Amino acid sequence: QEKTVTGTVTDETGMPLPGVNVLIEGTTQGTQTDFDGNYSISASSESTLVFSYVGMVTTKKMVGSKSTIDVIMKADASELDEVVVTALGIEREKKSLGYATQEVSGNEVSDVPQSNFVNSLQGKVAGLQVNPSGTMGGSSNTVIRGNASLTGNNQALYVIDGIIIDNSNNNTTDQQGGRGGYDYGNAATDINPEDIASINVLKGAAATALYGSRAANGAIIIETKKGQKRKGIGVSVSSTVMVSEVNDETLPEYQKEYGAGYGPYYSDRIGTDVNGDAIYWEDQPGSQPWDPYFTNVDSNGNGVYNTLYTPFTEDASYGAAFNPNIMVNQWNSIYPSLPTFGQATPWLPGKNDPNSIWETGMTTINSFALDGGSDTGTFRLSVTNFDQEGVLPNSKIKRNTIKFSGQQDLTEKFKAGATFNYVKTDGKGRYGTGYDSENPMQQFRQWWQTNVDLKEQKEAYLLTRQNITWNPRSRTDLRPIYSDNPYWTRYENYQTDNRHRYFGNFNLNYELNDVFSVLGRFTFDTYNEIREERRNVGSSGVSGYSKYLNTQSEYNYDIILSFNKDLNDDLNLEGIAGWNLRRQDWNSISQSTNGGLRVPGLYALSNTVSNLLAPTEYEATKMVDGLYARASLGYLNTYFIEGTLRRDRSSSLPADNNSYYYPSISTSILLSNIIEEDWLSFAKFRANYAEVSNDTDPQRIIQTLALLDPFGEAAVASNVNLLRNPDLKPERLKAYEFGLEANFLKNRLGFDVTYYNNTTEDLITPVSISNATGFSSTIRNAGSLENKGFEVQMRLNPIKMEDFSWNMTVNWARNRSEVISLEEGLDNLPLASLQGGITIDASPGQPYGAIRGTDYIYNENGQRVVGSNGYYLTTDSNNNIIGNIQPDWTGGIQNTFKYKNLSLGFLIDVQKGGDIFSLDTWYGYATGLYKNTTGLNDLGNPLRDPVTNGADSGGLILPGVTEDGQPNTTRASFNTYANPYGYARAANKDHVYDASFVKLREVNLTYRFNDNLLEKTFINTASISLIGRNLWIIDKNIPFSDPEAGLSSGNVQGYQSGAYPAVREFGASLKLTF
Amino acid sequence: CSDDKYERLNEDPKNPESVPAGFLFSNATKSLSDQNANLNVNTNIFRFISQYLTATTYLDEPNYELRERNIPQNHWSILYRNVLRDLKDAKETVLENEDLLTQEEVDARIAQITVIEVYTWQFLVDTFGDIPYSEALAKDNYLPKYDNAAGIYEDLIMQLIAINSDFAGQGFSSQDLIYGGDMAKWQKFSNSLLLRLGARLINVNATLANDAIQAATTNGVMTSNDDNALFTYLDSPPNTNPIWEDVIQSGRNDYVAANTIVDYMNTLNDPRRMAYFDDNVSGYIGGTYGAESPYGSHTHLSDKMTDPSHPGILMDYAEVEFLLAQAAAEGVGGVSNAASHYENGITASITYWTGDSSLAAAYLAQPGVSYNAANWKELVGKQFWIAMFDNPMQGWYVWRKLNNPTLNTAAQSGNPVPLRYTYPINEQNLNAANYEAGSAAIGGDDQQTPLFWDED
Repeated sequence: QEKTVTGTVTDETGMPLPGVNVLIEGTTQGTQTDFDGNYSISASSESTLVFSYVGMVTTKKMVGSKSTIDVIMKADASELDEVVVTALGIEREKKSLGYATQEVSGNEVSDVPQSNFVNSLQGKVAGLQVNPSGTMGGSSNTVIRGNASLTGNNQALYVIDGIIIDNSNNNTTDQQGGRGGYDYGNAATDINPEDIASINVLKGAAATALYGSRAANGAIIIETKKGQKRKGIGVSVSSTVMVSEVNDETLPEYQKEYGAGYGPYYSDRIGTDVNGDAIYWEDQPGSQPWDPYFTNVDSNGNGVYNTLYTPFTEDASYGAAFNPNIMVNQWNSIYPSLPTFGQATPWLPGKNDPNSIWETGMTTINSFALDGGSDTGTFRLSVTNFDQEGVLPNSKIKRNTIKFSGQQDLTEKFKAGATFNYVKTDGKGRYGTGYDSENPMQQFRQWWQTNVDLKEQKEAYLLTRQNITWNPRSRTDLRPIYSDNPYWTRYENYQTDNRHRYFGNFNLNYELNDVFSVLGRFTFDTYNEIREERRNVGSSGVSGYSKYLNTQSEYNYDIILSFNKDLNDDLNLEGIAGWNLRRQDWNSISQSTNGGLRVPGLYALSNTVSNLLAPTEYEATKMVDGLYARASLGYLNTYFIEGTLRRDRSSSLPADNNSYYYPSISTSILLSNIIEEDWLSFAKFRANYAEVSNDTDPQRIIQTLALLDPFGEAAVASNVNLLRNPDLKPERLKAYEFGLEANFLKNRLGFDVTYYNNTTEDLITPVSISNATGFSSTIRNAGSLENKGFEVQMRLNPIKMEDFSWNMTVNWARNRSEVISLEEGLDNLPLASLQGGITIDASPGQPYGAIRGTDYIYNENGQRVVGSNGYYLTTDSNNNIIGNIQPDWTGGIQNTFKYKNLSLGFLIDVQKGGDIFSLDTWYGYATGLYKNTTGLNDLGNPLRDPVTNGADSGGLILPGVTEDGQPNTTRASFNTYANPYGYARAANKDHVYDASFVKLREVNLTYRFNDNLLEKTFINTASISLIGRNLWIIDKNIPFSDPEAGLSSGNVQGYQSGAYPAVREFGASLKLTF
Repeated sequence: CSDDKYERLNEDPKNPESVPAGFLFSNATKSLSDQNANLNVNTNIFRFISQYLTATTYLDEPNYELRERNIPQNHWSILYRNVLRDLKDAKETVLENEDLLTQEEVDARIAQITVIEVYTWQFLVDTFGDIPYSEALAKDNYLPKYDNAAGIYEDLIMQLIAINSDFAGQGFSSQDLIYGGDMAKWQKFSNSLLLRLGARLINVNATLANDAIQAATTNGVMTSNDDNALFTYLDSPPNTNPIWEDVIQSGRNDYVAANTIVDYMNTLNDPRRMAYFDDNVSGYIGGTYGAESPYGSHTHLSDKMTDPSHPGILMDYAEVEFLLAQAAAEGVGGVSNAASHYENGITASITYWTGDSSLAAAYLAQPGVSYNAANWKELVGKQFWIAMFDNPMQGWYVWRKLNNPTLNTAAQSGNPVPLRYTYPINEQNLNAANYEAGSAAIGGDDQQTPLFWDED
């Protein structure tokens, strides 16, 4: 029976509270109080009203027989009662936790949805560093509090509804080392942001100790939306459309003064006549003056050499100055299938440079959810369709997600629950990465002729469907030499992939009595994926087709006994004891054609030129069983102390050393219960110490050999490069942490500060060793690594008025990492040896991720020394530390403004420091693509003019001193690719850039429709948003590229090769509930 | 679960823990031949250093830039890791003798392994100088010290002298990818290697040079092209000659003949040009060594050289004759008649490449070719070097030892021909103390530090 209930809401001092939300519990029906704190709502007598208001404790009132309900709301000491989800999916009161956690609401990751939801966490959690690699659907590196392991996995653990989710990227080592391949994304991209209710980030070892070895890198605990106990069925629908465009500031700027070539290398002697005598260019009738940048050819065999050709094989732009009066046979004149065949064209820069390749991308996300519940159970069923087209031609990803969750009380004490997720992802045309012909950025950033018009390349491909490249072997041999037509690459040499993923849990919970309850839980995460890569006949490399099948699964069985008992009025004891069995299986196979494809365009393993070679197989299983316990003691609801202990036994370690224990102890004190002051709403001090041990990957104990492809009849086998170690022991992390959080002035100002120190020891690390051992690397317990730092969160509510409010959240984190030691005798551990001659290293005394390479030679005053030829001297050794990948600090500022029904939020994301080496400028400055390789010198002459001793000299006087200490006055020649800027003469150091940035990461403008407007409709709530992401790079220091662009998630960071530009996304979304 | 069950999960169900020794022997032989033949700029630039070939567009490597592509490291790793490590394990497996072979059969297998081992150690020493030897290939010592190159030579010579009597039994046969188990030829190969080692020591360690060469000729070196130690490749990948991979399969046009060899051969009207080179331009035009050389206007490698099954030469009879000519001219090891060894060497090479020994006679009669004791270094140097076109490591030896023929300075950098490779970068990082000591011992880790046998 519905009736009208009215009342007034006031605060503790009796002041009326306007704008309080009044909601009927379990429904979406509600209203707000007016300026005088009055409300009126229609409700049945069985219903309960829920009063909520920012900064106040949410209050519930049964309606019953009352028709007037006045409410006094208390200032929120919300932290006092806030419940968060912790390790093993156990809900805890936040006040009792002695370690740092930080929450992110579901809206914050779904309002501006990302194809990789991980990216939505950027800038939102202090100490969580998220680095996307920059390709469509590519992987993102997520590291909490720095890298704890030298070469092992440093990614945060993802747990969703208690299910541990695999987050590996399964990218090849070639891909991760910049040698080419596709970035298939990290597996946590399968998490659907639309289903997320809340995220809790557990940062330290004490928080995650119960996960045992797996959470040394912190954990991201995700709870999904659940059904509500309500009448009828709730329906919610959301729809988002976003378009994407590349950000011009992250693209190369091409010079428009010089065209194809490496330098003036062509002789004036252009041939030999019938008598064997030389024919000279300048003697040709009607020919232009000798030009050493072109080949001059007798194209019709009449003995007259007067046809100029572009030097097709020279994939650089260090050639002839553009001049509309020179007619040249360019690439479009040599392909008989083109209408331009045989036509010379004026020597001019391409009208459309490579930046014209970018298309407008489009993402649509449609989601539909049903939920419902009764007194004894709830359920929620959701379906989400995600569809993305990238900014490169022929690229798309589709993902469909179905999720069911349900809970049922079987009896009052016996409850059952389950969740089940199915995710299917289909990718096509992911972007090629690294130094590889499948990555068009390799030509666009490193090896390109500026006379080429990319649009003409496109038209040539579309017209002929052939690989009509600007880079053929010669004017008569039209096969590509290095670079393919980029459109051929995109349309013919594409990859595809699909993944079926299933994950879920089943749990039973039985309350034995008031004190004890027992939970049995089974969780699973399993997927199988297919990856297919293609290269058609006619490409520059060997054509081929490869297929990779991978199945991975993890099963966890837990039995957890919980207890909670008030020992007396002041003392509470609660805790758990549990047993976990984990089993992980891996099974993969990959196979490629051998020696090319026979039938063009047919991508099948049977279509192989030579006999197929044996496929590569991998099969492994790991089992870990653990016993664990936690006990927490609370005194006066103010002092809390807890301890945990876990013992694991892992199959990946030698049998005599495969069990290990790890303890943690933590404490928290609610200072606000001790210091009772009006201005202090809440304050808590916390401290903890934890040790965590870790095992390793399977099959690292026993040495094996590899059977190679037979040589004719002879069998062939070889040692593998990795020397296994039968003496491995578990690695160990020791961590301590202090934190203080406090809220002031009725929670309008708050902060949370943490200091932590993590030291890892005995790290199980594949270590490179002198190859004179006959191996490249071995696995050792080598080295120790320290990460320490501060994390700060601040919450501000500077304005709080009836119609207008402003909320601000600031996150800031500084991590200092230091490699303390490596195994004795080892003074460096290369994490990666990369093209360009640099390494990314762990070096004692240095932060993790030192960049080493060649440097300049400096005098005692730190000035660069210039050699007698006018070029800088560079070191012989590649051992010089020239940078480090670690940022000085990271931070984010989130602002939310609310005016009536309108809210505006924007997030600014900042990284200060950190270095990145660019192979793109390393090569591109030599090949002369970029704008800064042209221009005028100090004399006002073109830089690229030859060096003379006169006033007309080109070249550059490099600032520096000569070997005998005098200021340099020798002009360095700039007229070939071997200029002082590029790889031929520069030190690696010159191509290390500061990766700092300030980005406007997210913008969200939302209008929520008034309830009275919707009253007459079947719609309960409705909102519409304009959203944007990565709209503006406010500041950065690396030229022509995005400082965040990289290769893949993993430990190889700080390196760009064929980097992709940043992508702006903007669009709109509509959310409705019924 | 029991600990047993846990431990079994460490076993790899897809890879063996041990294999018959022959499997490893085959791999080591193939890896060695691949590295000897390879012209991939990431791995091996001996064909540049010996100035047989030059590059069309990318000129760093012909200008002796070794660091950018980690060339010394790749060379080093392949020889230690893919050759010597497998040979060491093969040896241990043979000695365990689980197949219950006769002692003679065991000895023969060990002798075959030893020949390839010695070959490889010398290859390393001749590239770098002092290298890890006595402490190398240990599973428990990651920091092997560098041994004196002359001392390593001495040990290698002693090993070859010692195994001369071990070729009586049947060694590896179907797993022998060089001679298919012909042990008499293995014995000749072994002694020819001994000659190669000895010849390096002429004027450096007269006694040992004398002993080695004498022992080699007494025990029997190669006597015809039939004895050549060739590695015959197959038609399809991955078992093709690596030249085919980089020149044909890759689709790149990176290499043309260098003007250095083309000019010498043009002057001598050398009949081997048609075997070494393609006739893609009129006449033979070599690219200026170390300078940009457009592919279309310069001479390419021949179809023969770029055939997938083109044999790799580990050592051939021509080399043996030239080494004997060198020993005779220097009066070492009781070898005499330099002129006839010189002529035999040229004839063997021309016959091998052209299949027509009659072309040799006319060639030998030319004034620029015919032997002249007063001028032996220049003549032997040039002819030895031309003959080593497809075994470029030996061509580099000839130039270093005999200072002939005259090679060009690299056009772009102006750098002189290296006298050795610098040590791998990862030795600087991973084995630093020993690297420093090794560098100091040879007189500095520099391309221009001469090897101990390099006379001046």
